[in-house]
Amino acid sequence: MDYFYHVLVMFCLYAILATSFNVVIGLAGLFALSHAAFYAIGAYTTAILTTAYGVPVFVAMAIGVVLTAAIGAIAALPALRVGGHYLVVVTLALQVIVIDILRNAQGLTGGPDGISGIPRIVMFGQTLSTPGSFLVLAAVVATAVYFALRLLAVSPFGRALRAMRENELAVQSVGKNVVALKLIAFALSAGTAAIAGSLLAHYIAFVSPQSFSIDETILVLAMIILGGTGNLFGAVVGAFILVLLPEILKFLDLPVGTADLMRNAFYGLMLIVILRFRPEGLFPERYRYTLPAGAQRSAGAFQLSPLTNTENGTVTLAGENLHKNFGGIVAAAGIDIELRAGLVTGLIGPNGAGKTTAFNLLTGFLTPTSGTITLRGRPITDRRPHRIVHSGVARSFQDLKLFRRMTVLENVLVAFPNQLGDHLHNIYFRPGSVAAQERANIARALEILEFVGLRERALEEADGLSYAEEKLLVIARLLATEAEVLLLDEPLSGLDPNTLARVLPIVRRLAAQGRTVCLIEHNLDVIREVCDVAAYLDGGRVLTIGRPDDLMKDPQLLERYIQ
Amino acid sequence: MDLILQLLANGISNGSQYALLGIGFGLIFGTTGIVHFAYGPVFAASAYVMWWLIAALGLPFLVAVMLGMAFAAGFGVLSYLVIYEPLVERGSPSFVVLVASLGLFIVIANSLAIVFGTDAKTLPDFSYGIYFLGDVVVTGVQIAQVLVFVAVALTLSAFLKYGTWGSAIRAVTDNVDMARIVGIDTRKVAIVVFAIGSVISAIAAANLLVREGASTHVGFFAVFYAFIAVVVGGVGSIRGAAIGGLLLGLVESTGMWKLPTEWQSTIAFLVLFVVMLWRPTGLLRGN
Repeated sequence: MDYFYHVLVMFCLYAILATSFNVVIGLAGLFALSHAAFYAIGAYTTAILTTAYGVPVFVAMAIGVVLTAAIGAIAALPALRVGGHYLVVVTLALQVIVIDILRNAQGLTGGPDGISGIPRIVMFGQTLSTPGSFLVLAAVVATAVYFALRLLAVSPFGRALRAMRENELAVQSVGKNVVALKLIAFALSAGTAAIAGSLLAHYIAFVSPQSFSIDETILVLAMIILGGTGNLFGAVVGAFILVLLPEILKFLDLPVGTADLMRNAFYGLMLIVILRFRPEGLFPERYRYTLPAGAQRSAGAFQLSPLTNTENGTVTLAGENLHKNFGGIVAAAGIDIELRAGLVTGLIGPNGAGKTTAFNLLTGFLTPTSGTITLRGRPITDRRPHRIVHSGVARSFQDLKLFRRMTVLENVLVAFPNQLGDHLHNIYFRPGSVAAQERANIARALEILEFVGLRERALEEADGLSYAEEKLLVIARLLATEAEVLLLDEPLSGLDPNTLARVLPIVRRLAAQGRTVCLIEHNLDVIREVCDVAAYLDGGRVLTIGRPDDLMKDPQLLERYIQ
Repeated sequence: MDLILQLLANGISNGSQYALLGIGFGLIFGTTGIVHFAYGPVFAASAYVMWWLIAALGLPFLVAVMLGMAFAAGFGVLSYLVIYEPLVERGSPSFVVLVASLGLFIVIANSLAIVFGTDAKTLPDFSYGIYFLGDVVVTGVQIAQVLVFVAVALTLSAFLKYGTWGSAIRAVTDNVDMARIVGIDTRKVAIVVFAIGSVISAIAAANLLVREGASTHVGFFAVFYAFIAVVVGGVGSIRGAAIGGLLLGLVESTGMWKLPTEWQSTIAFLVLFVVMLWRPTGLLRGN
């Protein structure tokens, strides 16, 4: 019976490891390979503190968790600047360094022999020395961890993590701080792995480097891939299967060494087969939203929130003498532009004229080599993109950058400003307020979707939309930011006449309600129809600015543009 | 002073091996964008194959190395065709390809241990000289390692510069979409770089076999050092991978001046960590 309980304890520990690893891998899309290192740091910290310094068990465990979370955040630092494959090699290096230290820092870690004689946990007057008694604690902790992380995954914070996974630039363009998202995801995941590690240390009363090799990380990764990346429940199921499987295989009579090798080879084979034939795993990622019953369906229910300080015609966003060089290439050679509230400004000009560069400079996605950017007279030049969104300037991208593996509704929900659930303390300490705001936001998101004509598709994946629908969703997402200055990069190109007829009034209405609108467009008829002001760019500068009709009478410009 | 010179000599020799592994891995990674983790076990497998050809069949060393290179090329190309290509064709995110390559890594590494056992396989009577350069002692293997690296690196650069496939490979490394538009068969390019990269790993495997023999864990460290060399040097640059590898060897070796041997890889990885923070796109590629 003890053997059976032991297997279940191990299942609990791996369930903690797999759910926490899934936060980084599945939700945040950060491919790190250092989970076993965090598991090890948690285990060794409590082992060292309790055996060498006599620190009480629970205090030592807590210190281990906090320390590991801090190390996790440090490990994330390179990930802040580069993603993808670079993160893989850096975290792999971290894993190797940690194991090296465990092996070589004899005095501290006991070297290859590890640390034995770790005190057992005593709770309610009982020493948890048998698998049966420990199972109760392990199960309680695993359940608590699961629900805590699940709460996180379904929260606006979890949604922002998934959006970051889908597109890092786009998530900044709706006001999320990717640095904070990555740091928190890493620290949280590492700290949670340390919980499993400290439990293990006090459970078997012994730690050694062998328990935390890269094979452990790969085993936990296999659990996630099998269960479903991004699905925390799937990770638990994956842990269950892969903890139980070798126990069943033990009934086959294999020599001990070979059995381990065969089991590992089997994990590898399983990874390949799953990725080939069912990459989403047993339980595909699915985040359900219940739509409020009887939400208004009448068109036009959507109203922009009123602006307090609008006076049509005042300058809101302005760029002065903006320069941008990439090495020897000049992308902007002194762009001067003023955008005014209540007016639609169109940017025209040949490819490579600097239109998108202007957007990137104005929204913080590029830092100008020189020049200043002001919003209502206050300088915002060096602010990072998400801070500029918070100030009230939002942009869309020519290549849309939708969050493709998220629903249409979620694409809009991510973009709402000031979400309580973007902050961990609110998620755990004010869940009621977070839920209430979420309900209000869902209702408002549906209004916006109704407004652009995508209400019916709210619960479908953005990946399945037609091109015209994608463009509408981009506008919906931009509206949700509630920014007063909206920069749209080719929102109208490639649209059929029907959709165009739907989008043009939206743009006009935004201006009528006091928004500052700026759009990039190539079609002169469209410019004439929708813009109050047009600016002609070429060679990285604004050559002329004026009313569209006047601009188009300029034979020189027309000639330059059309040729 | 003598000690430093000795450590530098060791560093250059080890660094040549890392650089050799790095240019093979970097060629594959830079051109196809695939993190070919199985590069390590393919390297290990070819070392085992060469050992088997020599020890069991009694073939001459050079013949065994040739066959080992052919074996590696076949293995590398097969892993691309069977594992990676179907995933890439389907438009899988790079994460999926990466995990698949990890899976392949595990399968091959463990299969090798099952087939060949976990003890080290060394060549029985391989003699090499010991040379004195002033007060510095170097072995014939160390010298050979440096010469082999230089020869391979020069041949590869010449091939990339003047060879029929060279310009196609460089075009794909630069911009896949553009290369496709101008009519380059990117699939063939991928097959060619997997073949060449794997052959280079087999050459490194011959070095390894002569120096210390084949054992099960060599695969992980081969691909790991190669990966680091590439990232430190700058992805997409063969010269970068070479410099990254040499740097890794030198740092590791000179670290031993003041620190015990067992810390050498820790030092090297800390250097990597710092380089990544300071210059995340590598030393040679500033964008």
